[in-house]
Amino acid sequence: MNNIQIAIIGAGPAGLSAALELKKLGYDDLVVFEREDEAGGTPRHCGHLGFGMFEFKRVLSGPNYAKKLAKLAIDSGINIKLKSTLTKIENGVLTFSTPDGVKQYTPTCTLLTLGARETPRPDRLVSGTRSPDIITTGTLQRFAYLQKIKPFDRAVIVGSEIVSFSAIMSAKHAGIKIEAIIEEKDEIDTFCIIKYLVKYLLKIPVLTNTKLKNINGKDKKVTSVTVSSNEGEKEIPCDGVIFTGQFIPESSIMQKSFDDFNLSNNSLYISQNFQAKNDSFFVAGNALRGALAAFKCYFEGKKVAKSIHDFIRFKHEPELIKIEVDENISWYYPSMIDLKSPTKQHLTALRLKKREKGAIKVLLNGRMVYKKNIHAFPFMSTNIPWKDIELKPKDVIKLEFVRD
Amino acid sequence: MEYINLNNLFPLRSSNFAKDEVFDVAVIGAGVVGTAIFKEFCEQGAKTVLVEKANDILDGASKGNSAILHTGFDAPPDTLEHECIQRGYEEYMKIKDDYNLPFLNTKALVVAWNDEQLGKLNAILKKGLGNGVKELDLLTHEQIIKREPNLSLDAKGAILVHGESLIDPWSAPLAYVKKGINCGGKTAFSHEVQDGSFNGKYWELKTSQKSINAKVVINAAGLYGDIVDKIKGTQDFKIIPRKGQFVIFDETAYNLINSIILPVPTKRTKGVVITKTAFGNILVGPTAEDQESRTDSQTVKETLEDLKNKAFHMLPSLKNHKVTATFAGLRPASDETFYRVSINNDKNWITAGGIRSTGLTSSLGLAKHIFELHDTRYEKNPKADEKVTVPNISEFAPRDNQKEGYGKIVCHCECVTEREIKNACHGELGAGNVGGLKRRTRAMMGRCQGFNCEAAVTQICKNEVENHE
Ligand SMILES: Cc1cc2nc3c(=O)[nH]c(=O)nc-3n(C[C@H](O)[C@H](O)[C@H](O)COP(=O)(O)OP(=O)(O)OC[C@H]3O[C@@H](n4cnc5c(N)ncnc54)[C@H](O)[C@@H]3O)c2cc1C
Ligand SMILES: Cc1cc2nc3c(=O)[nH]c(=O)nc-3n(C[C@H](O)[C@H](O)[C@H](O)COP(=O)(O)OP(=O)(O)OC[C@H]3O[C@@H](n4cnc5c(N)ncnc54)[C@H](O)[C@@H]3O)c2cc1C
Repeated sequence: MNNIQIAIIGAGPAGLSAALELKKLGYDDLVVFEREDEAGGTPRHCGHLGFGMFEFKRVLSGPNYAKKLAKLAIDSGINIKLKSTLTKIENGVLTFSTPDGVKQYTPTCTLLTLGARETPRPDRLVSGTRSPDIITTGTLQRFAYLQKIKPFDRAVIVGSEIVSFSAIMSAKHAGIKIEAIIEEKDEIDTFCIIKYLVKYLLKIPVLTNTKLKNINGKDKKVTSVTVSSNEGEKEIPCDGVIFTGQFIPESSIMQKSFDDFNLSNNSLYISQNFQAKNDSFFVAGNALRGALAAFKCYFEGKKVAKSIHDFIRFKHEPELIKIEVDENISWYYPSMIDLKSPTKQHLTALRLKKREKGAIKVLLNGRMVYKKNIHAFPFMSTNIPWKDIELKPKDVIKLEFVRD
Repeated sequence: MEYINLNNLFPLRSSNFAKDEVFDVAVIGAGVVGTAIFKEFCEQGAKTVLVEKANDILDGASKGNSAILHTGFDAPPDTLEHECIQRGYEEYMKIKDDYNLPFLNTKALVVAWNDEQLGKLNAILKKGLGNGVKELDLLTHEQIIKREPNLSLDAKGAILVHGESLIDPWSAPLAYVKKGINCGGKTAFSHEVQDGSFNGKYWELKTSQKSINAKVVINAAGLYGDIVDKIKGTQDFKIIPRKGQFVIFDETAYNLINSIILPVPTKRTKGVVITKTAFGNILVGPTAEDQESRTDSQTVKETLEDLKNKAFHMLPSLKNHKVTATFAGLRPASDETFYRVSINNDKNWITAGGIRSTGLTSSLGLAKHIFELHDTRYEKNPKADEKVTVPNISEFAPRDNQKEGYGKIVCHCECVTEREIKNACHGELGAGNVGGLKRRTRAMMGRCQGFNCEAAVTQICKNEVENHE
């Protein structure tokens, strides 16, 4: 059993920036654990440009950004243990599988920056055949940029969140032709400029209002997909299917280990200090609620470092109340308020599942105390201001969305 | 960029015996039934060859099942199926430790959800006792909830079947083949038996590769059992494939139940089951859908949704968990409910067909039964008592990632190591296709479905296959 002061699990942008910040604040008894054989997190396989503008004032590719972050951490003497997979959290003991055997640690404070992943085919319950050629953007990126492999020739992309644009670029890099992008909703799930870019510049059909009915094929090979829209059904020949987006935190270990799992966010209930009810645990980055841009996770890493610093310096017992939400809300942060912490600017920030017009209502012990009219897009956050809501222990806060 | 696809990576196998070799026995089909028969005959000293059309074992019915080791409490009384289930169970218990095969005695609850079903429990109890299954208890609503606190309060009553257990459906048949090979048995993968002729002494089986000669043929062709049976000249039964779709939930749900939750059976099927799996998940299914196709194991969205809803009704908190996988298996049901096992002494032909929904349990018993039918004495194989082990991939015992020196973990969701993947690519019994690789290692079978590891697994397999050609 090893005693350490701070354990950070996950060496992505959030974990590494938190480690750098904590190191600056003078914490040396700190270990970053990473299950891969390289630090840097998800950007390691995002081969395209679009990273580092805010953090380093330069436009970097994902892999270069990951390398830069990893180098900064290593150069400042941070202990990064690679190939170390956190497999269990129990009574304050963290258990890791490592090539040198099973290792256990009892940190004073643990930061979970485990990242997120896309929802693959099974949880979407899609009809049809099974095949290794039904993948996610993340898989495609790893094929294209890490292994330099082209797994199939022509594919259909399912979903139109911003990440499907990554899928197009990764496919292009691998020499895969994209036959179409299909989206169930009546418009694409990101800024509409992207749609024109894809449609007119890249000449890829963007089929909105279109459902994936069946993945056809046999012997573990895909031969086509059947899609349906109000114009009827049609078959699109392809030998690969790429499911994109619907990010969910890599949080199974949290759900297994803690009893206060937040089902809207698929993560723990977390206060404005990134702290869990079990107050020696902190969560930040995509592990909190699905995918944001890397820079946001990077800056969140810095913030959580300050919270950890405060927690270690002025150990106070948090006084927590939970915020609950209804099923229209895809995620929100924070999901708890620590009454003993200085009031923050916002009560919480949230996103809706669909593009909607209506109002967000804040209910305090069942009574509406605030209402905000919004026109929400699923890829943009809405801040709910704290205003002059007076909060007391045992209060119950609920957020509801009411359609116009 | 190089085009590499997991589907095409594994080279087709040929066989390593002479064309004019005459075997004592040829077993057609490397499903769980064929592999168990192969093991039995090899141990007994018969010169045996296992002939399989796919490039790996378990390509048919045996690749997707509920993985329950049944007691036979609800088997049709005094049938061969009943006898073989109980013999198979006993035999599995005898050998499991030698082979390093997992076993978890979770027990099962046959739950009545309404008064009509409640009324049937006594009859089920009586049938079970009559079938020789002694450890059965009737439970009240309160007793059920005490045992299964997460189960819906609608549970009216239940029978607790103490013997029902879980095993690893993929490693067991692998162990059977390995044992057969260790006793000198031969295998012929990617050999589809297409026709055959009997010269009064032995059969010459025409396959998609070379011909295979054997004095006796045992047809264990599962979903193709009726087609293969035509080779002997008469066809006594017809296979009507019965699809069973499944929904598998994430490991986060694993502790929601303790026992296997069985419904009160109806005539057609044992109904929808909720159970843990040896791989740390919760399984819901299977459906029972008769169909023409022997290959179509597609899943259907509406059916999967229906399965989920049924399960949520029985186990409400399952709603809070994600689906990890969906799949379907095909039962080799026939036009009658009973096993189609027969011997044709004039033609030196034995049929082990129509092993619909209990084959995983019964196979070892069935193999013994068939050897007795065969009624020929051989000199016992000197290696029959030698131990042969397979790697553990279940959650019921320590896995490779707990033992140092594994390289790295490649599949993070299922904690599959580089060493496991490499080992699975090699040897006479190495993976012959993607499915085979998954069934030997669990790689890519977890909640992320390859988001993290499919590309790396592809690369590792490519290197392994190339380096050993
Ligand atoms: C396909 C794709 C394209 C993207 N494109 C862009 C883009 O163009 N621009 C942009 O700004 N952002 C992009 N992003 C988002 C960006 O990559 C993420 O926001 C960012 O990487 C999140 O940082 P993180 O530190 O929270 O998580 P991650 O970077 O995901 O890091 C989490 C780390 O934790 C490790 N880990 C997880 N579980 C364990 C465990 N049990 N034990 C040990 N280690 C563990 C993981 O291996 C990983 O290294 C993209 C993301 C994806 C998936
Ligand atoms: C949904 C479902 C749930 C089940 N649950 C359970 C359970 O919980 N417990 C239990 O005990 N049992 C269970 N079963 C039953 C069990 O899986 C089957 O009884 C068993 O798999 C049948 O095995 P088999 O070897 O007869 O057939 P198969 O597995 O189909 O094997 C036949 C083999 O023969 C090969 N073959 C076919 N034709 C030829 C040819 N011409 N030449 C060469 N090779 C050929 C095929 O490729 C195949 O590999 C379940 C089955 C299903 C489908």
